[in-house]
Amino acid sequence: MSETHAPAPRPEPPEPPFGVNEMRLAGRHWLAVAALLLAFVGLAPILWDRWERFEPGPDYRVPYALSSDYRHTRRRLDAVPPGSIPVVGDSVVWGEYVRADGSLSHFLSREAGRPGRFANCGIDGVFPLAIEGLVTHYGGALRSRKALLQCNMLWMSSPQSDLSSEKEETFNHAALVPQRFGAVPCYRADAAARLGAVVARSVGFFGWVSHLNSRYFDQASLPQWTLSEPTPGSHPNAWRLPGPALSLDEPASDPRRGPSSPRHKPWTAGGGSPQSFEWVGLDASLQWAAFRRTVATLRDRGCDVMVVVGPFNEHMVAPEQRPTFRALRDGIAGRLRWDGVANVVPEALPSALYADASHPLTEGYAELARRLWRDPAFHAWATR
Amino acid sequence: MLFHTLPFLLFMAVALPGFYALRRTPLWAPWLLAASYFFYGWWNPWYLLLVVYSTGLDFLLVLLMDHCPARGEAAPERRDRTLRWALAAFGAAAAALAVGAVAGPAPLRPTLLAFTALVGLMALGAALADRRVWLFISLFNNLFLLLFFKYARFVAGNVNAALGALGSPLAMPDPASLTPPGWEYLLPVGISFFTFQSMSYTIDFYLGRVERERSLLRFATFVCFFPQLMAGPIERARNMLPQFRRPQPFRPRNLTDGLSLFLVGLFKKLALANYLSLYVERVYSDPASFGSPDLLLATFAFAWQIFFDFSGYTDMARGVARMMGFHLTLNFRNPYTATGLGDFWQRWHISLSSWFRDYVYIPLGGSRGGKAATYRNLFVTFLVSGVWHGANWTFAVWGVMHAVGVIATRELERSPFYHHRVPRLLKQAGVFAYVCVAWVFFRAADVPQALLILRGMFAGPWTAPGAPGLMLALVGGVWVYQFAYESRWRPMLAAAPVRVGLAACMALYLALCSSGGGAFIYFQF
Repeated sequence: MSETHAPAPRPEPPEPPFGVNEMRLAGRHWLAVAALLLAFVGLAPILWDRWERFEPGPDYRVPYALSSDYRHTRRRLDAVPPGSIPVVGDSVVWGEYVRADGSLSHFLSREAGRPGRFANCGIDGVFPLAIEGLVTHYGGALRSRKALLQCNMLWMSSPQSDLSSEKEETFNHAALVPQRFGAVPCYRADAAARLGAVVARSVGFFGWVSHLNSRYFDQASLPQWTLSEPTPGSHPNAWRLPGPALSLDEPASDPRRGPSSPRHKPWTAGGGSPQSFEWVGLDASLQWAAFRRTVATLRDRGCDVMVVVGPFNEHMVAPEQRPTFRALRDGIAGRLRWDGVANVVPEALPSALYADASHPLTEGYAELARRLWRDPAFHAWATR
Repeated sequence: MLFHTLPFLLFMAVALPGFYALRRTPLWAPWLLAASYFFYGWWNPWYLLLVVYSTGLDFLLVLLMDHCPARGEAAPERRDRTLRWALAAFGAAAAALAVGAVAGPAPLRPTLLAFTALVGLMALGAALADRRVWLFISLFNNLFLLLFFKYARFVAGNVNAALGALGSPLAMPDPASLTPPGWEYLLPVGISFFTFQSMSYTIDFYLGRVERERSLLRFATFVCFFPQLMAGPIERARNMLPQFRRPQPFRPRNLTDGLSLFLVGLFKKLALANYLSLYVERVYSDPASFGSPDLLLATFAFAWQIFFDFSGYTDMARGVARMMGFHLTLNFRNPYTATGLGDFWQRWHISLSSWFRDYVYIPLGGSRGGKAATYRNLFVTFLVSGVWHGANWTFAVWGVMHAVGVIATRELERSPFYHHRVPRLLKQAGVFAYVCVAWVFFRAADVPQALLILRGMFAGPWTAPGAPGLMLALVGGVWVYQFAYESRWRPMLAAAPVRVGLAACMALYLALCSSGGGAFIYFQF
């Protein structure tokens, strides 16, 4: 009787070498690495905050160089004292052409007779869609307190400004806008960039890294900073150690602002004249929808919200378009009233007090603050 | 989808658990293939047609080859039934395609003509029942794809320039005009890698080195296995197909090994290659504006950039494959510690150099025909290897330089003085310097620019360089590690605290100082 044998199993092919380094980590080694990393990721930002003190004065505003440092914005909002009213908005609140002591919050505080009563929480370069992201993801401190929001109609003055056009646009603070595909039609970032933005806003450690880059490394990563070339042939950081760069000094405010700056001049001084705008209707406007959601978010958090609509430079609107502009402005006020949101619509300032379509000059802010303070509804809201 | 991006992380978050969950079922291979096609299609779904076509054709050709008598076997008295069917089918198809090529829509005629030639050859192969014909078709098809997508514009440009210089009114058409309407003429990512991998299977089967793979699914997975599809390692069927024939058991060690490889690769790419690229790009984009120190340092930096970029990709590819239990070939062995050019090519892009050794150098005669023939074979092999890298004269010069370097160091090693008396470190320095000079041609936009850079490196103004100290320190650190690894200090590197400390430092550096994204250099090849 013949005996049957199972075929012999094929020999396993020899395993190729692991690599040409000794970086072969077993499970326990990975656990040790993970523990070290978690400790650093968890502790470094906390310890850093203790080391890098942040004590904003009454006229503090986030430096221009730190506009994209959202972690710093969060610290700024956290640092608004309980008795102060944060003024939230774009560069109109921040003060594009003026010094920190020439901004709306400064003059409102002066009207209130208390330095720091109003805190400048504006960020240069943001717009309602970005402000929504800022308030949602970094504005946890805006809770159960008064908040003054400024609604800048400039963002509805064309489909491009409204970000509702289909044509691809590049804009600031893209990380703050909704990252869902199609939510902002002109935003064409790829999936990796969108995911990166979501991760960056969700994981605090990355915000801290971004803070270090913004504040100490000229808004660049450390490698890029070492390669910076401010003028051709000059490499100031090539051989600098990164350690001493962490000086804890905040970037200086941009000196090109304020009454002594050549930029600080009426909009007509450069030959400006009235223009036609392609106003976007409220029902179609992405920026208005975002603004409305921001107000709703703040109210859901128990905030007592007041909205200042304007002051848009009506003098810059072509005469035949002014009725359209006013209808839109009144529509905003009407919808806010419908939503039960306190609001005030100051009349346009004198033409000479505007630097462009939406930004007042220093005296313009002073005048705006006077008008707001005289407004009974605003005064009652601010003083109650 | 690049390994170092979030979409790949998400892709792996689905692909890897799915693979583990299916590994005990027959579905693991289809899952792997679907994942691979998704990964490749992420760039451009139309490229998938090319991969599927190339895979299907080579599978079919080997199947038909298997129905022909092997070398040394007598032909059967009666023609194989499969070949009879193939002859009828290919004959009819060739006739139909020929009609289309003559009378069909004009924009489709070049494509139909190419297919008529291909299918006509296949009918001939079925009629002759000769394995050599099938092998020829496979080589013709794969090389035609490469030639058309990678070199056609270069060839047409050079031929037209030559014709123009001779005053001829003739001109070769632009290859884009030969593609079907609506198709864009683009270089498909990784074409040089998957065509070489597929071609090696048909050659190995013809030479009797590998059995025919009976499953199209497994063969397609072999050709399109996503970790190594874009930039290698160029795997051989005899290494990968056996791995695809059995399900891979889950072993935690595979996962930790894979992660280890991936971390090292990620560090090489994001922390080192991308950092170096910032400096290299600045200097090489306008070399006339920089002095000798910058040109020298940028060339030095490029040598390391391309090493970190490519070996980083390979490490990540091997790591991803290892996580699933597959073992890919080692592709780099510290090439900048080589003591000769021959040694360098046993350490640099090993899977490509062994491919050229096995399928070009040895078939040409290798070292069997005396010194002159050997050197001729080396020269041809390195020239082809250079041209494989891209359609530019710079790559041809680069290949020739390496051929000359290999021959020269081979001769030097024969001299007792060089072999025994010249210190190892000096040999290593010499090889590195020579490789760096060759890299100038590899990186430069064209030959005149390469010559300008070479002149500038040695005769330019001596201005303060802008190479950052941090960058040089990082490269220096890696070089020291590599030398230590190849010395008696290696056990020190294996100590657990050193490994854990280095891994933590790499991860932290990546989190704090990463130099951003950017595609891998070798994707363009």
